Amino acid sequence: MICVIGPSGSGKSTFLRCLNLLETPTAGTVTFEGQELTGLNEKDLDDLREKMGMVFQNFNLFPNMTVLNNITLAPIKVKGIDQAAAEKTALELLTKVGLADKADAYPTSLSGGQQQRVAIARALAMNPDVMLFDEPTSALDPEMVGEVLEVMKDLAQDGMTMVVVTHEMGFAKEVADQVWFMDQGYIQEQGTPEEFFDHPTSDRAKQFLKKILK
Amino acid sequence: MKKVWKSVLMLIATLTLSFPSVMPTVQAATDDSNATSSSASSNKLAEIKAQGKLVVGTSADYPPMEFVVKKNGKDKIVGADIMVAKKIADDLGVKLVVKDMSFDSLLVALETGKVDMVLAGMNASPERKKSVDFSHTYYHGGNVFLINKSDAKKIKSGKDLAHAKIGAQTGSLQYQMVKKNMKQATMKPLDNINNLVLALKTHKTQGIMLDSLIAKAFVANDSDLKMVKDIDMPDNKSVGVAVAMPKNNPDLVAAVNQTVDEINAKDLMNKEYLPAAGKQMEKVNVKKTMWDYKSFFLKGVGYTLVIAATSVFFGFILGILLSLMRLSKVKVLHAIAVVYIEFIRGTPLMVQIMFIYFGIGSLISSLPAMLAGIIAISLNSGAYVAEIMRSGIQSIHYGQTEAARSLGMSQKMTFQYVVLPQAIKNIWPALGNEFITLVKDSSLVSTIGVAELMYQTQLVQSTTYKGVAPLAVTMCIYFVLTFTLSKILSYYEGKMSHHG
Repeated sequence: MICVIGPSGSGKSTFLRCLNLLETPTAGTVTFEGQELTGLNEKDLDDLREKMGMVFQNFNLFPNMTVLNNITLAPIKVKGIDQAAAEKTALELLTKVGLADKADAYPTSLSGGQQQRVAIARALAMNPDVMLFDEPTSALDPEMVGEVLEVMKDLAQDGMTMVVVTHEMGFAKEVADQVWFMDQGYIQEQGTPEEFFDHPTSDRAKQFLKKILK
Repeated sequence: MKKVWKSVLMLIATLTLSFPSVMPTVQAATDDSNATSSSASSNKLAEIKAQGKLVVGTSADYPPMEFVVKKNGKDKIVGADIMVAKKIADDLGVKLVVKDMSFDSLLVALETGKVDMVLAGMNASPERKKSVDFSHTYYHGGNVFLINKSDAKKIKSGKDLAHAKIGAQTGSLQYQMVKKNMKQATMKPLDNINNLVLALKTHKTQGIMLDSLIAKAFVANDSDLKMVKDIDMPDNKSVGVAVAMPKNNPDLVAAVNQTVDEINAKDLMNKEYLPAAGKQMEKVNVKKTMWDYKSFFLKGVGYTLVIAATSVFFGFILGILLSLMRLSKVKVLHAIAVVYIEFIRGTPLMVQIMFIYFGIGSLISSLPAMLAGIIAISLNSGAYVAEIMRSGIQSIHYGQTEAARSLGMSQKMTFQYVVLPQAIKNIWPALGNEFITLVKDSSLVSTIGVAELMYQTQLVQSTTYKGVAPLAVTMCIYFVLTFTLSKILSYYEGKMSHHG
C-alpha cells in the first residue's frame, strides 16, 4: 500500500486521477501492468479501468439505485456476468464491509461511512488489481472515519495493491508500505513510513510534518 | 438504438427535403417559364387521367356549397360544389377525391400540387387570377350583410354599417369588397365562417359580409340573425364562382369548361344541385344536443391521441439526440444542434406545420396531412425537449460519470445507465409540461385538415350553427386529456423518487 500525503493543492488527487486517466496528464507517461496508458483509445482505456477500482471523496454512489444494484451494475453491464452470480458476489462483498443488511436500501438513507463502504464494495466487485482511494475519509464525520479505515486495513492485509491519498497520518504510519510526499505537483520524498515520519529529508516535508503533528 | 437511427434519418430527410423543395419551384418560375409552359401544360390533365383520380380542395364550412354530414358513422363532404366536382370527375372518367382544409390554404395547396383544382365557392377575382387560372363561372351569388336581429332597426342597409366593425372571411372576395368600398369601417377578418358568426353574435362585429346562399342558411338555422340585402356597393354581382386550377394548363381548363358550360346550359346549379344540397342540410339539423355529435368528438380524440403519442415519442428521442449533440465536443454537431434548436424555437409551430405540409408536400405530393402534422410537431417538440434534457444532464454531478467510468463503463453505458435515468428524474416535471403543451398544440394541425379534435369541433360548429357549445365540449375534453396525462406523469414521478 502506498499512501500519498501532502498539503492541500499539492496535486495528490490530480496525480491519482491521472493513474486511471480520469484526467489526462499534460506530460509524462502512465504504465500499468507493462502497458503504456497515455495514448490508448477509449475502448482499451475502459478495459484498463476495470482493473483499477476507485473510491472517491464524495462516494459518488448512484442515488437512483439500491445498494445492491450500485454494486452489480458494472459487473453485469461491463463484464456480462449474469444477475444471480453478480448479486451473490455483491452480497459477499457487502458482508465483508459489514453492510449485508443494507442491500436493498437506497444510498441517501445511509450514513456517510456506510456509503463509503458500499463504494468500496462497488469497486471491489469488478475484481480489480489495484484500488485507488481519493481522500476516502475527508467528507466523513469524525466518528465514521474509523469504520472506513478498518475496511481498508483489512483489504491491505488481504494483499490488495492500494494507492491512497489521505490526510490520516496515523493510518498512513500504521498500514502503508510506502509513503509518498507531494508538494507543488511533484513527489518530493518517498520512503517507508518510518523513514518519512521519523527522518524526513526535505525542508518541505519537515515543515509539513511540523504543522500537522503539532 | 434502431429506433434512434430511424428518427435521425427522418430528421435529416426532412431537413434536406424541406430546403430544396422551395428552390426548384422558384427556379422553374424564373429560368424557363416560357420554355416549359407548353410542355407542362398538357401534363396536369394527363396526370389526372393517369392516376385515375381528381383531387379537389375545398373548405367544408360553407353550406350549402360545401359542408360535412355523417353517413353511416363516416364524415362525408357534400354540397353543390361537390356535385359540380363530381360531374367534372365523371366527365373526365376518373374518381373524385375531396380534400378539406382552411380557405386560406386552398390556393397554396393548388400551387404546390396538393390538389388538382379548387371548388370552394371561390369567386374568380382579378387578384386570384394572377396566381391561378379559372374556369367559366358556374354560379353568381350576391353578397349580403348578416347582422344581429336586435340591431335590425338601426341597420337597414350597408350605409348604416359605414363606420362599424365588419367581419369577412380572410382571403375571400367579400373581404376585398369591404376593404375597397367601406374605407371608414374597421375590418375584423377571420378564416372560419363559424367564428365570424360567433364574433357577430357576441357583438365583436356589427355585421359580416357573406354570400347570400350562406347567409340564408345561417338565418334559417338561427333566429337571432338577420340578412341585410341592400349592401350599398357597386358591382355586387360582377364576379362569379368558378373552378380554380393551376396556371398554364389550357387542356385542363378546356375540359373543365366543357362540363361547366353544360351545367350552365341546363341550369343544373339552381334546378338540381342547390335544392339537393338544401335537403341534406335539413337532415343534419334535426339533431340538436352535443351528445348527438359524440362520434365527431370521439373520432377527434382518437386522432389527437395518435398525433400526441407519436409526437411525444419522436420528439423525446430527437430531444435526447439534440441535447447530446449540443453537449458534444465535436464542434460541427454542436453547431447543428444550436442552430436547429434556436431556429425551431424562434419560429411559430403553426408556420412549421404549414411549411412541412406545403413545402415538403410539393416534393412528395402523397405526404398525408396527418403525417406532415406529426413530423412538424415532433421536430418542434424535439427542440424543446433537447433544452430540458440538456439542463437535466448538466444537473448530474460529474462525480457520477467519473464513478461509472472508473468501473470500466464506456461513455455510452455511463450515459444510458447512470446519467440519463437520473437526468430524466430531475427534469420529469419540465418534461411533463412539454408533453401537456404538445397535446394542446396538436390542435394546430386542424389548419391543414387533419381530422383531430379541433377540426371535428369546427365541423360540429358548421353543422349545428352553434358556436360556443362545441367549444365548451372540446375544452372539457382537452382538459380531461391533459389532466389524465398529468396524473399519469405524477404517478411515475412518485415511482422514481427514492428518499429512504
